[in-house]
Amino acid sequence: MLHLDASNLPALARGCSVLGAGGGGDPGLGVVMAAEAIKRHGVVTVVELDDLDEAAWLMPCGMIGAPTIATERIWGGDEGTVLREVFEDLHGGQVAALMCFQIGGANGLLPVSWAARCGLPLLDADGMGRAFSELQQQAMHVAGVSASPVALTDGRGNTIVLRTADDVWAGRLAREVAASLGGVCAAAICGMRAGRARHAVVEGSVSLALRLGAALRAKGLGGVLDALGSVLAATLLIEGRIVDLERRAGDETLTGSVTVRAGGGPAGMRQLRLEMRNEYMLAFEDGALRAAVPDLICVLATESGTPIAAEELRYGQGVAVVAAPAPAIWHSGPGLALVGPRAFGYAVDYAPVDGGMEAHV
Amino acid sequence: MSDLRIGIASGTTGTDAVAIDDRDRLLATASVQAAGDVRGAIAAAIRAIVADDAVVPGAVRWVVLGSGQALEGVAAVQGVRKVAVVRVGGPLTLSVPPLATWPSALRDAVSAGEIVVAGGSEYDGRAMVALDEDAIARFLDGVGDEVQAIAISGVFAPVSPEHELAAADLVRRKLGNLVHVSLSHEIGSIGLLERENATVLNAALGGAAERLAVAVRATLAEVGIDAELFFAQNDGTLMVVEHALRFPALMVASGPGTTIRGAAHLSGVGDAVVVAVGATTSYVGALVNGIPRERTGPTEIAGVRTSLRLPDVHRVPTGDATLAGAVEDAKAAQPAGPLVVVGRGQWLVPDRMDGVSEVIRPRDGEFAQAIGAAVGSVSGQFARICLNRPDTRRTVLEEVRTAAIARAIDAGAHPDTVAVVEVDEAPLTYLFHPALRIRVRAAGPCW
Repeated sequence: MLHLDASNLPALARGCSVLGAGGGGDPGLGVVMAAEAIKRHGVVTVVELDDLDEAAWLMPCGMIGAPTIATERIWGGDEGTVLREVFEDLHGGQVAALMCFQIGGANGLLPVSWAARCGLPLLDADGMGRAFSELQQQAMHVAGVSASPVALTDGRGNTIVLRTADDVWAGRLAREVAASLGGVCAAAICGMRAGRARHAVVEGSVSLALRLGAALRAKGLGGVLDALGSVLAATLLIEGRIVDLERRAGDETLTGSVTVRAGGGPAGMRQLRLEMRNEYMLAFEDGALRAAVPDLICVLATESGTPIAAEELRYGQGVAVVAAPAPAIWHSGPGLALVGPRAFGYAVDYAPVDGGMEAHV
Repeated sequence: MSDLRIGIASGTTGTDAVAIDDRDRLLATASVQAAGDVRGAIAAAIRAIVADDAVVPGAVRWVVLGSGQALEGVAAVQGVRKVAVVRVGGPLTLSVPPLATWPSALRDAVSAGEIVVAGGSEYDGRAMVALDEDAIARFLDGVGDEVQAIAISGVFAPVSPEHELAAADLVRRKLGNLVHVSLSHEIGSIGLLERENATVLNAALGGAAERLAVAVRATLAEVGIDAELFFAQNDGTLMVVEHALRFPALMVASGPGTTIRGAAHLSGVGDAVVVAVGATTSYVGALVNGIPRERTGPTEIAGVRTSLRLPDVHRVPTGDATLAGAVEDAKAAQPAGPLVVVGRGQWLVPDRMDGVSEVIRPRDGEFAQAIGAAVGSVSGQFARICLNRPDTRRTVLEEVRTAAIARAIDAGAHPDTVAVVEVDEAPLTYLFHPALRIRVRAAGPCW
């Protein structure tokens, strides 16, 4: 059985960075927190749905708000334990396993420390298979599992329960609560039994992140690209240099675009433009769409193959841009309605990476 | 007679010294073997350079030391100060205690005790909870006489340093002005753990910096030099010794920065990949607009993750075949400009390499580090976080500019010529109100 301990947390974090698609926050703090929690409370077991009783309760959880603020406040430590108590009160049953509601970025690591402190396993699944900015952008939402009741806590004694009309309200109100609590808080959403989770979650996310993280240890960009190709079926869109970078920080979002230019040569000069909205959303070349959300678009440093978050991009940087198909649930009609380009305000329709075949995930 | 500058580059295997006149002409060079005694080697290099007829001790106005010695002290867990570690952030931040990620030998050598007390600020600058001064006072009573320095790190101190300043006041009331106090808002940016680590390292390194300064001053007096003493910072710029004693963390790894700036000076190139081939270690870095390119994200010092800003260099053992790959990677990230090769072992780098159109081997390149130290300008920087509202941004930007200029002047830049050389504004993501990190660097010559 798969365990999480100090030896594989860095690999998990590397994988979660790739799955963040430029957003989701740096999982570095989560590694330190999880290592500390595991040192005190023991290793975390990763379970699959098949390992659980159909009636067992799952608690999808993570942080809501600004990851940057979390790196400064670094949590009281009891957040997961508090969420579990509130959750068990709300649902009238004991939690059997925690689950990341978002594997991409910082939220792929935070529930690991909570699981260690609760003495509970972590489910090998998540609600997104990547990072999205909105709370309701969950596989559970597509499957009809309600986000409400939402449990929220800030690590300093404040706990709030939201019973909402629908999942959009849940997202909106949870953000307002997080703002009131200083910009970030811990949340448990979409309480469900294991039997209900069967087609309502993205299975295999934790082990995928671990495999990705192990593959990313490959030497140099070439090795990393090969590894991403085999683990994620990723396609290289361009390798070049950032020649234009425009970022606008608005309320709650970082939006903007970045242009990557590949040098001359016989093939001539090429340019790829990425649109970002917290995550990398769209990739255009010569006006043609090459990749689009919900598929994963990742920017890697040419030197090291390390994923670069949208907020870390620098003018002049050497980068490679890759795209990989999202989990199949997002390619369905309801999936695309929730997380396709138009859901983020872009006036284009989703198309698979380079117009190719959809993934068989 | 021309005013002279002496630059000294102290490494693990040898120490170089150069003398430069006020038109940047190289008058004399000297090299001595270190033989395990860094302070002795520095003294020997100073004696050797003044033994050159071209160097009149009375004409030497500035001496700049670039030394990795302070860092070696940390790596060897020797000569570090005992630090009482105060974190202001309770009841938050308890999930990871202070120094939790430090190598245990270093933690044992440095820590005189750690405490997390209630306090800190919200991201918009409001106080989170009242500062628990009683808890700090009780902690200071309990840590004992061995404490030589205090490191204070508060949640969101780069937004609002008030609790750190209040805690520092309390420390001075209880322990007097002689104990060193490092405050995190003066050391690093957002990210409490990395900033706290940098702050504790800064507090721990003061003793090594002081011993070095005392030794160098004694040698200078002995050879008849009455000059202002500067230390090279990690980015290759300079700071006067008094400033260096307050902020020794800023000079833990000055070698690459001074070498890259020396390579820029000698080659006259502003954009380049720089390869420095030393006796045991070689490194590859990049020069962008005349400034060594910095690493993004956290940096590691003696096994500790910190928020210190260091040049982005890739190290390989000298003679190792992986150097070619490192050069290729650096070229990919920095295609503009030539490859500049400096250092004693520069013949190990061939004239033809993949992806490299031009290789420059500047004259006197084997002394690039000492020359980089001697020709450096003085700089200071400051950073703050603020809400991105036009009025707030304007006010804070002005405050940060003023603080950076004050920093540079405190570091030894001349008030008449100091100027802002870099303003960096970066938005912070997933915030409920858009926020900015504003960082300003000011620099100028020391004359």
